[in-house]
Amino acid sequence: MKRISDYLRHPRGHRVVVALMATTVIVAGACGSEGNDASQDPADGDSTEGAEVVLVTYDSFALPEGAAEAFEAESGATIKVVAAGDSGAMLAGSLLTAGSPDGDVIFGIDNTTATEVLDEGLLEPYEAVGLDGVREGVALDSELGSLLTPIDTGDVCVNVDTQWFAENPDLDPPATFEQLASKEYASLLVVENPVNSSPGMAFMLGTIDEFGEDGWLDYWGELKTHGVKVAPSWDDAYYNDYSVSGGDRPIVVSYASSPPAEVVFSEGERTEPASEVALDTCVAQVEYAGVLAGAANPELGRELIDFMLAEDWQSALPEANFVYPVTEVDLPESFVQWAPRPESPIIVDAVVAGENRNAWIEQWREVME
Amino acid sequence: MDRAVARSHGVGRSGGANIIAVFVVVLAVALPLLAVLIRSFWIDGSFTTESISRILGSSRTWRILALTVGQAVASSVLTLAVGLPVAWILSRFRFPGRKLVQTAAMVPFVLPSVVIGVAFATILGPRGVVDLRGTWWAIFAAHVCFNLAVVLRVVGSAFSSVDSSLEESAMLLGASRLRTLRHITMPTVAPAIHSAAVIIFLYSLTSFGVIVLLGGGAVTTIEVEIWTRATRQFDLSGAAVLAGVQALTVVIVLSFRSPVGRPRSARSAISRAHIPGSAKQWAAVSAAILAVFMISVLPLLAILERSLLVGEGYSLAHWRSVGSATEGTGLRISPTAAILASLRAAIPASFLALALGIPAARAVAYKPNGFGSRVLLLPLAISATTVGLGLLLLSTRGPVDLRSSSVLVVLAQTLVALPVVVRSVAPAIRSLPPALGEAAELAGAPAGLIWRKIEFPLIRAAVMASAGLAVVIALGEFGATVFVARLGEPTMPVAIERLMSRPGQAGIGQAMVLACLLGLVCSVIIWVIDWAAGSSSGVSLGE
Repeated sequence: MKRISDYLRHPRGHRVVVALMATTVIVAGACGSEGNDASQDPADGDSTEGAEVVLVTYDSFALPEGAAEAFEAESGATIKVVAAGDSGAMLAGSLLTAGSPDGDVIFGIDNTTATEVLDEGLLEPYEAVGLDGVREGVALDSELGSLLTPIDTGDVCVNVDTQWFAENPDLDPPATFEQLASKEYASLLVVENPVNSSPGMAFMLGTIDEFGEDGWLDYWGELKTHGVKVAPSWDDAYYNDYSVSGGDRPIVVSYASSPPAEVVFSEGERTEPASEVALDTCVAQVEYAGVLAGAANPELGRELIDFMLAEDWQSALPEANFVYPVTEVDLPESFVQWAPRPESPIIVDAVVAGENRNAWIEQWREVME
Repeated sequence: MDRAVARSHGVGRSGGANIIAVFVVVLAVALPLLAVLIRSFWIDGSFTTESISRILGSSRTWRILALTVGQAVASSVLTLAVGLPVAWILSRFRFPGRKLVQTAAMVPFVLPSVVIGVAFATILGPRGVVDLRGTWWAIFAAHVCFNLAVVLRVVGSAFSSVDSSLEESAMLLGASRLRTLRHITMPTVAPAIHSAAVIIFLYSLTSFGVIVLLGGGAVTTIEVEIWTRATRQFDLSGAAVLAGVQALTVVIVLSFRSPVGRPRSARSAISRAHIPGSAKQWAAVSAAILAVFMISVLPLLAILERSLLVGEGYSLAHWRSVGSATEGTGLRISPTAAILASLRAAIPASFLALALGIPAARAVAYKPNGFGSRVLLLPLAISATTVGLGLLLLSTRGPVDLRSSSVLVVLAQTLVALPVVVRSVAPAIRSLPPALGEAAELAGAPAGLIWRKIEFPLIRAAVMASAGLAVVIALGEFGATVFVARLGEPTMPVAIERLMSRPGQAGIGQAMVLACLLGLVCSVIIWVIDWAAGSSSGVSLGE
């Protein structure tokens, strides 16, 4: 009988296995270090020349090109965008890799999920230059406020297909939450799943604000009875189900800024928006940025956050991402004309949302799935 | 008995290093599961049953479990309903192109689940023939496509081994066709049907990629729920409890698995298969060909067609743009980068799986019912999402932070490929004539030399085949990889899912190109294995 000692005495005997393992270790090592080189090279480069600041954000974020170039001219660093799925996936994924992040700055955390950053030590505190120029009511308090810098706001509102309602004159477009659940609008509404989608979450929080903790689940029960469609994402809802994009539902949960987006994205085909906004169904969303703990380039990250509050970036944001700036800059013509800000949107308190979100999601899923 | 004695002697010959390999394999598989269990009970450093009672106390959990099991049953029944007649026809009749039809039906089985998901999303999706996305029907269709091969392979060979002279005698003696079927044919093929049903049930129970792509967020199973909780709801503990529920369910199912032997060879049957004689028989053959074409070929052709579809016309634009990330796809890396990321992970993962799997297979080969073999069955009970979740949990608390490198992806793919390597190499080792090694040993050859000069050359074909299988599995791995892949370095399946999750955007074309390439590479590897090993090794994933 041979024992381990025999293998030791005849090391050539398991040469194949050793070779295999050695190869594996070398290849794996090479791959590993290659990956690291790619992300860390710029940091090792001298000062900021050729440096790169990595911005982790959600898929649909569009970098305002002109402003990005201005940042590069000013700081000498290029902005590399890493897309991380929708905003929920981005935050959850980043939490799982907290302390060993995929980038320097994370942007796109909103007030409905902001409290999650308190766990796991995801962010480094930073007080941005220019924070005092931010509109009242968007900055967060205490510890949250020290971690998250407000960059833009948006309003999640019900949008309706104006042409569809013109062709069906016996039905008026819905104006309130209440009306949406009524029988007349059966099978006309598509919303997003609050588990996956941030507008979906905002809309759900809006219904809780509107009907209270005792009434909101009944409201969703009504919506379900009357054939509401729950799409997995905003993209699905807007591009597949909404009648403006060829779907069969003329009412969709989208943004107050969707009408100007329809005009701008049509590249001249549309001179008027296809949608109207039900301004009484709006829920305010604030999007924040923060410096990721363990970032390769925290200094550049802080610089980028400062720049996001500067005029170049703020005034480029509306037509790049169809959001409102948080500082006092002029709005583009398309916004002035087609995206009136709702007068009194529902404001979701980040702390209240944080404390209750999981329980509310469970309750929502219990009713809707 | 003598053979058994001789073989158990072989274990001693293969020595302690192999036992260590078994230990390493078990540890590698058990650690992620352990991490999941720990996370279920410990939150922020203290013991609690809060997560357990929260998840197990929710009626929704039980509803999802029921749905998961129910859809697996339905998938098995539907696959058998479609597969049995096709298997019977293909085993009874000889016709030109029969081999081709059999091969075509095998292809989907070796393809990554993400590719099958993409295929059905194009046909049964928003821009397909009918929009069934978000319904169980789309998922059933994909499961039937994926598992048809299991029925054809496992039950088909059983059909072939039915003694047709017995059937003929029964009918001559006046038994009706139905009676003959019930009393002669069925008893022979019943064990094979049972075996096929259990295999399909298990695959469907742990199905993930297909459901993520076709479920549209509306269809949930335990696997998908684990993913949703871990990556969407910030609920790792809940995900961990569900992973435990999932593992337990699979263990229970496995314990019902009957000890069916290997399917008997179909070789003798070829002579018994005859050319269709009547118009009715030709119609049956045509129906079988049509079924295989519709289920196994058409969905894959749809991917190719969609990869060429640009706007309203056809062009190679998507194929030409593989080197660049398309604006507005959400994914900011090019398909080429995803391909490279896949190769960088799959190649080392396959080597690792072989390096660990072969010694482990040697240790357990001679005792197929021994403790070691049973332990190596364990990975079957652990779904890919559990492996991914476990690795992630381990790495957040581990001594070395592996999360910033791509090592976790390599480990995830290794763990998923390992059981397949062991299970495909062990039979080859078992079939070695023990006398060979014993003679060499008596002549004084050291164990290493015996392995290198005698045993390895004899099982080289099996090792090569399992290497190919490992590469195919690693390349297509989605359920575990999706948890641990870095954002900037998605593998092909991960990139495909990301691109597919954004309808109405430019990324669909690129997803189709990636799915085509992934499908093609996997098919070619499997084809080469099959070709090199004759038809004997075949496709034996998970059997």
